[in-house]
Amino acid sequence: MIKEYEHIHFLLNKYWNCETSLEEEKKLQDFFSQEDIPEDLQPYIPLFRDYKESQHSIRLDDDFEKKLKAAIHQKEKAKQYITIRIFAPVLKIAASIAIIVSLGVGIYFLVNENRKPYFAETYNDPKAALKDATYALEKLSEALRKGEEASKETFDKLKNLNINWAAIDSMGRDMEQEMEIEIEMEIEVEGDTDVDIDRDRETHVNQNL
Amino acid sequence: MNNEKFHHIILSLKDNLYRLALSIVHDKAEAEDIVQDVFLKLWSKKDEWNTINNAEAYCYRSTKNLALDRLSSRATRKTESIDPQLEGHSFIDSETPHLQFIRKEERAIIYRCIDELSQNQRLVFQLREIDGLSYSDISNVLDISEDLVKVTLFRARKKMKELLEKYNDKRI
Repeated sequence: MIKEYEHIHFLLNKYWNCETSLEEEKKLQDFFSQEDIPEDLQPYIPLFRDYKESQHSIRLDDDFEKKLKAAIHQKEKAKQYITIRIFAPVLKIAASIAIIVSLGVGIYFLVNENRKPYFAETYNDPKAALKDATYALEKLSEALRKGEEASKETFDKLKNLNINWAAIDSMGRDMEQEMEIEIEMEIEVEGDTDVDIDRDRETHVNQNL
Repeated sequence: MNNEKFHHIILSLKDNLYRLALSIVHDKAEAEDIVQDVFLKLWSKKDEWNTINNAEAYCYRSTKNLALDRLSSRATRKTESIDPQLEGHSFIDSETPHLQFIRKEERAIIYRCIDELSQNQRLVFQLREIDGLSYSDISNVLDISEDLVKVTLFRARKKMKELLEKYNDKRI
């Protein structure tokens, strides 16, 4: 007992000088957790027994791990959300392009609709409208009249030419006949009547003239 | 480090980290929040687990830093003594009221002494006495040299000795 007591004093001295190992400090704590402590060592009971006891009574609630698991789970979920957020700019760009394209197409069709001719009241004064309309119609009828005159003139000129239409017609017919005869003769006589044919042609032409 | 190790760390360290956070912020809900944040941070750093060679020290350090951040971001207020509810927390029912009274007195004394320490002294003291960390682990957690850890602990213990003897003299 006395030996142990001496040893404790020795350890305590080492302890104040910070020369004790963790095992030696454990020994001191074990010693002070006994019930009957010598009087001269009693002041140090709070340090070696009570401090440790009270600190070890400080514990987290039992559901701490449950809470931690829930928090970890939530964090994993948040991570997934973050990946969506990383791609958000791309999605935004895609969405804005879609909106711009659809707006452009819509506006294009709307403008085209507006461009189609439509009737609307552009005159405030009916007299002015009538005057303009009469003017426009007069111009039109004048243009038509000029056209009619021009065509009449052309017809008259054609009449005054005095063309012998019958002669022109028969000339065409004679030429057709001549061609047919020529072909027939070529097939029958083969070459020795060239001169005759030439002469025949000359007579035809003379007759026609 | 793998999932198993992660769970092992949580199981073995959660209360130690909670105590450390509580001794800095003096607020149960906030201390619990800090510990949860530390574990969440560790979980989200899964890819870096292999580069963390001392996960325990890493957790202690994160807890200390986060707690100090919260403390400084909060309206700085003088550290109060520990929650009176907590002090009575561990009383065993079989103890007589008289013994309970004495124990409570003793507990009040130790926390009154601890309150006299500086922030760093308190942290070193707690990490050594309660968490049983080695000097090198403490230097790792607090980001100070091992020599400074020893010097700080020496001063803290010396002060505790003086204060405890003073209180004892008063009581007698």
